[in-house]
Amino acid sequence: MNAPMIGLDLPRRDAADKLRGQTRYTVDRARPGMLHAALRRAEVPAARIVRVDLEPARRMPGVRAVVGSADAPGRSGMVAADQTLFATGEVRFVGEPIAAVAADTAEQARAAAAAIVVELEPLPPVLTMAEALAPDAPLVHSGWRDYPQFVPGGQRAGNVAWEATVVRDDVAAAFARPDVTVVESTFRVGRQNQASLEPRACIATFEDGRVLIETSTQAPWTVRDTTASLLGMRPADVRVVVPAVGGGFGLKFAFGLEPFAALLARSSGRPVRLANSRRDEMLTALCRENAEIRIRSAVTASGEIVGREAVVLMDCGAYGGEQPFLASMTAHTLGGSYRLGSVRLVSRAIYTNTPPTGAFRACNGTYNVFALERHTDEICQAIGMDPVEFRKRNVIGDGSIGATGQVFEGNVLGPMLDRMTALRAKAPERPAASDGRLFGRATVIGTWFILVGPSAATVNLNPDGTATVVTSGVEIGSGAMVQALPQIVAHSLGLRPEDVVVRQADTDAAGYDVGVGGGRTTVSLGAASVAACQEVRTKLLQIASDMLEAAPDDLVLEAGHVQVVGAPQVRVSIAAVAQRAQGVTGPISGSGAFTAPGTASRPGCTAGHLVDALDLPVFAVHECEVAVDPETGQVEVLAYRVVQDVGRAINPRAIGGQIQGGVVQGLGYALHEEVTIGPDGKVRQQGFETYRVPLAQDVVPVEIDLYEGAPSIGPMGIKGAGEVPILNVAAAVACAVVNATGRPVREIPLTPPRVLELLDGAADELRLPHIKARWEDNVLPPAAAAG
Amino acid sequence: MAMQITVNGEARTIAAAPMTPLVEVLREELFLTGAKQACSEGFCGACTVLVDDQPVAACLLPVGLVEGRAVRTVESLGTAGDGLSPLQAAMLEHDAVQCGMCFPGILMALTGLLERRPNASEAEIRSALAGNICRCTGYERIIEAALAASAALRQPEGATP
Repeated sequence: MNAPMIGLDLPRRDAADKLRGQTRYTVDRARPGMLHAALRRAEVPAARIVRVDLEPARRMPGVRAVVGSADAPGRSGMVAADQTLFATGEVRFVGEPIAAVAADTAEQARAAAAAIVVELEPLPPVLTMAEALAPDAPLVHSGWRDYPQFVPGGQRAGNVAWEATVVRDDVAAAFARPDVTVVESTFRVGRQNQASLEPRACIATFEDGRVLIETSTQAPWTVRDTTASLLGMRPADVRVVVPAVGGGFGLKFAFGLEPFAALLARSSGRPVRLANSRRDEMLTALCRENAEIRIRSAVTASGEIVGREAVVLMDCGAYGGEQPFLASMTAHTLGGSYRLGSVRLVSRAIYTNTPPTGAFRACNGTYNVFALERHTDEICQAIGMDPVEFRKRNVIGDGSIGATGQVFEGNVLGPMLDRMTALRAKAPERPAASDGRLFGRATVIGTWFILVGPSAATVNLNPDGTATVVTSGVEIGSGAMVQALPQIVAHSLGLRPEDVVVRQADTDAAGYDVGVGGGRTTVSLGAASVAACQEVRTKLLQIASDMLEAAPDDLVLEAGHVQVVGAPQVRVSIAAVAQRAQGVTGPISGSGAFTAPGTASRPGCTAGHLVDALDLPVFAVHECEVAVDPETGQVEVLAYRVVQDVGRAINPRAIGGQIQGGVVQGLGYALHEEVTIGPDGKVRQQGFETYRVPLAQDVVPVEIDLYEGAPSIGPMGIKGAGEVPILNVAAAVACAVVNATGRPVREIPLTPPRVLELLDGAADELRLPHIKARWEDNVLPPAAAAG
Repeated sequence: MAMQITVNGEARTIAAAPMTPLVEVLREELFLTGAKQACSEGFCGACTVLVDDQPVAACLLPVGLVEGRAVRTVESLGTAGDGLSPLQAAMLEHDAVQCGMCFPGILMALTGLLERRPNASEAEIRSALAGNICRCTGYERIIEAALAASAALRQPEGATP
């Protein structure tokens, strides 16, 4: 068979240029005659727009185009069309774009944007979810009923932008049982900024009546379709090309600056560059949402979870964006990992007058796993059971029913817990410290998923024996496009990875793709590419069959050749076959496609979900050891271990890099990263001085064990590996701090002041009165729903 | 008024105003886009270059203060063609790179360190990176690679356990 291409630690093909500083990211690009753009943004969180006068900007030096809400009247949104490109009628958050300017220089553009006259009549802002859910709260969208709703079944009303519910079996009866202990916990988490080092940036150019957009995005087709819709163009007349992306982490899964640049390019007839500053990114990044959670469980003395209910409030900011989709995830993250007798969950995206939130690596999962695992440890304390023992008894396994009624396959989490024990046994002994610090350790579990969904790939077999893979996949740093995909194609065609050329994402060249996110690239583009390779292989063997005078079934592809099974000396090079094809059939190519197979949930038990069941679940077991300084409140992570379900590791070393990086982002989330909003509605952290991300001195090497062999619909049994590493980190750190201090962690990040409050007992209770005592009172009545 | 600085060994005449940040001159006037302007406030380190062998944040340094001095950027590392410096080669071998935006700055911070301290310890390497943010990698492979490069650069007689 083929040389084993799967499982090899192959290097990255883009590393040398990145190390030489030669890689041209979007921010490094320019076009002849290019203009520079600037946005005029709102400086108050809520206001009625009395007047916007663009004329003063048009009279400023160097200005070539000025556009505002009249130039882009279209609306966008995932489940309901609640957003316009520019604030229209009302301002809803600090930083909301009001107008855009293109000028010869960036300074001129900024000066002209500042010259635009904006007259506002302030409105009372709603800055927190508690305020948004208060009786008679001002509505962030007073016209919410009039927005077209694209997704049926979900409820929304007033400041509830979207509501997703799960109700399976009789939870009330479970809680009423005489033999159960009821445990209730509340949690709150802050916002996290993706802080990719490359900000959102793009260059738009009009050519032949079409717009070409070079942009730093994870989702070229979303950019194409949204830009077209907002500019009133045919989607086919927008071409999106994506150079190397300097980090995304979910921020660039939504459209960003592209429609502004495209409008200005159309208006000026010149290429237009628009790039965010770090301050812009701090102010307007679609952060991981802040959330508030209440979870209750009814558990028997033997540790059986007979009933569970939860309310999860997700702050979507001023517009829904991706949050309605992310609300679906609560069923699988907070509702995941454990066998539940009965369950009811409500996950609500809440409008506030704050910058919209969005996707960030393991969206929704990081805080729901934090809440679930802290709650699980509180259950263990209440019933007096060892936390690892409790987890081993209750994890979902082969045939287990998930929260939405889906039937899981394979025993995965249980064996992974055993592997964690083995991984810990391999760790070097640390001498017992006697420095006055408090030491703790915790083992936590989590369920995540791969966002499958449509992907297309074309594979061209070239006459020189190389193959070119054409997809809309983007290399954002994970290595999916520069390591995994060429390894998969090389494996499928008997080529060397260096003989596989990977085409840069270009919506003119490749078919539709959901985008790089949700851990999906290797699985979905991998599967589409494998399917394309099948077609190539069939055509190749047909021609080789004539050349070798052997039946196609007796031929294999190996080391750049087609050869006869059992007679490897009878062979012909793939290049020779490809050349022969030119005169017989014409050039050889194949196309492949993949989409979500659709996994069944129990009919009727979900409402408002965009993902009812997980096509491709992924599991993780993390363990963390901490030392807490009772004098300063400083938490030091001493050791960190990960057992990750990867299906099959294509490039184990590359996965290790994703795990180390994801865990460190999670440590930032758990310990010090938090975006906060002041009473003026402004984000308080304006740069890296006040928004502290992990540095080299903060981190430890993560001890890693890749768990292979779990069931997977991915090609060759693979699963995505880049998104899940951050999932359990806040849970692991928080549970370890509880283990060290004996105090209940209810909020993250665990900054030193917060840890000191914890040690003082000042943080034992977290009251969330806007989450009502009865679960039913946190759900919209059906009558409230629009249309 | 034009001024002279030495960039990557070549004398260059700079047209930009003296208060222009060095990184903007490098990127926009000299088309050396390796150094990145990722925060413009001196906190991320992606714009780090060597000025007279010392790592500096090129976003904070007005080009006027560099007049007559020698600037080295990431583009100066390695040899012509495919050659990589030992530090760059170690980064490649350790599969340290992900999105890559931080590496031009990290490489210059570490190059500066290893020139001063060929025997740099792990603690010195971490400390030299105190001003460089990497959002992707979690740093460990960068540190391992720097230690490997440091080992390769050591004089045999100067080696310490």
